[in-house]
Amino acid sequence: MTGSIEVELQNVSKFYGEDKVVDEVSFHVNQGEIFVLIGPSGCGKTTTLKMINQIVPHTSGRILVRGKDVTELDTVELRRSIGYVIQYIGLLPHLTIQDNIAFVLQLKKCPKKMQRERAMELIETVGLPVSYLDRYPRELSGGQQQRVGVARALAADPEILLMDEPFGAVDPVTREQLQNELLRLQETIQKTIVFVTHDIQEAFKMGNRIGIMRGGKLVTIGTAMDIVKERDEFIRSFIGQGAVFSALDTIPVTQALLRDLPVVKKGALVDPADSSFKGWEYAFVLDDNGQSLGYVSLAGMEGPAKIDPEKVQPLPSPSLPGDSLKKALEEMLWGNRGWLPVVSGEGAFLGIVSFQSCASLLAR
Amino acid sequence: MKSDYLWIKVWNYIVTKSDFWISMLGSHVKLVIWASCIVIILGVPIGILISRYKSLREPVLNVIGVLYTIPILGLFGFLIPLMGIGLKPALIALTIYGILPVIRNACVGIENVSPSVKEAAVGMGANGTQLLFRVELPLALPVIFAGIRTAIVMNFSVATYAVFIGAAGMGTIILVGMRTFNDGMLVAGTVLLAVTTVLLDRLLGWLEKIVQRKYGMESAD
Ligand SMILES: Nc1ncnc2c1ncn2[C@@H]1O[C@H](COP(=O)(O)OP(=O)(O)OP(=O)(O)O)[C@@H](O)[C@H]1O
Ligand SMILES: [Mg+2]
Repeated sequence: MTGSIEVELQNVSKFYGEDKVVDEVSFHVNQGEIFVLIGPSGCGKTTTLKMINQIVPHTSGRILVRGKDVTELDTVELRRSIGYVIQYIGLLPHLTIQDNIAFVLQLKKCPKKMQRERAMELIETVGLPVSYLDRYPRELSGGQQQRVGVARALAADPEILLMDEPFGAVDPVTREQLQNELLRLQETIQKTIVFVTHDIQEAFKMGNRIGIMRGGKLVTIGTAMDIVKERDEFIRSFIGQGAVFSALDTIPVTQALLRDLPVVKKGALVDPADSSFKGWEYAFVLDDNGQSLGYVSLAGMEGPAKIDPEKVQPLPSPSLPGDSLKKALEEMLWGNRGWLPVVSGEGAFLGIVSFQSCASLLAR
Repeated sequence: MKSDYLWIKVWNYIVTKSDFWISMLGSHVKLVIWASCIVIILGVPIGILISRYKSLREPVLNVIGVLYTIPILGLFGFLIPLMGIGLKPALIALTIYGILPVIRNACVGIENVSPSVKEAAVGMGANGTQLLFRVELPLALPVIFAGIRTAIVMNFSVATYAVFIGAAGMGTIILVGMRTFNDGMLVAGTVLLAVTTVLLDRLLGWLEKIVQRKYGMESAD
């Protein structure tokens, strides 16, 4: 993640009377990044989010939005410049979907025509038919309402989005669909997003980085991979058993790629005693363009010899560099083999991933 | 028979004295309209105010509640020495009776607007005025309107007593009918009052349905 810091919290705390519900929380979110806040119910996620747009004023510490202290900004303007998806959707029941989506534009007194156009554009962005614009929220299903909630947050084209369990109220299938759509959308819009959830799978899937909260404290921050490697008792029990697979789903195969492989050129003379073959049973055969022709067993080779083209075995179907490690591992399991070649879109042989390389990634 | 004879007298009164009772009904309606306007113009803002400033809520509702329990003739006993007789004290009396449901419903209606809806509006950058006029009032409207309906219907019946304080209305027909032992007039006045009250209530009920349909969440049928 490159880019500037859009949101930053420095030792932020929130008291309700004697209760310290947010305790010295510090983190920053880079431009174009999805930062996920996760933790058990009541740990202060929503409160932390609401302090960013000052729906809840913080008790101490500093909150910076685009480098400026929020307490020195005009609160109304600040909120209008930040998209907000609230935990319980909160569509305005007396307004049509169009007026709901364009609500911020209405507050800003934008022309009616512009409101209509923007609403039409956004309802398509979130995958609902334009005819829904004239409906009322009660005439939509929960999942459809959540889509409207997202469209509404995007209305004023804010740089920053705060999303509080935006897909909380839907079934797992719809939820996954909405997650994928948001991720796809994010590729083009590149917003800075603070995303609250209590679903670890969702956190791993959506978050570039994840912050885990407990009892008002931010106990750790890191990528999905950092988090599964945590040894802390609470974190381990919180993320649960299957979490490592969710984490692997977020990691491209290139992270576990073995590049230092025994390779031989087509037609070249091969000496099995060559040090680059040490510890390998196979060598990979490449043509002059770096495309792999297959692999060949080194076993039984007595001395230097040419590779017999008959003995070259074709590679199993490869992974692409963008595939996730989870996908690659699944293929290995189904294909009953301990490794998988990785080949670029243009067909160049990049290396292999193996159970071993995945395991050492986790151990690192 | 006596009762048949009475209904003929009533009918005769209604037909032949239509000029008089229509003008009395006019005064009655006028009094109620004025009073209702005052009640709405004062009551709704007071209701909003006490929903904003919780410390005012109980004192205001208590004072209005006490005034509300004063029997009507007792209230006149207060007002006549202070203001004499006529339209003005009548309006004040009606306002005192009508304002409680309006204040209470405006306050409760606004308090009951879903916090998540308000939070969404605030989070999107609605300022105080925008929150009130674009979110809270529209959503509280069904409840506020129910309070207004109660106030108007009540004022319509309370206005019958206005004759005791020198303001004309349907009460005039009934009182004169009583004093002159004109049972045709007396019963005609009562019947007309009952019929108009029911019609008014129906009309307001119909309007209330429309408001609910437009702004209410629960009437999704
Ligand atoms: N207005 C308030 N007054 C007092 N306490 C509050 C208030 N709002 C929240 N709290 C308390 O602060 C704590 C954190 O609440 P918060 O809503 O941030 O939790 P959360 O992590 O979002 O939980 P969930 O996953 O259930 O949404 C809770 O213990 C809650 O009871
Ligand atoms: Mg929450």
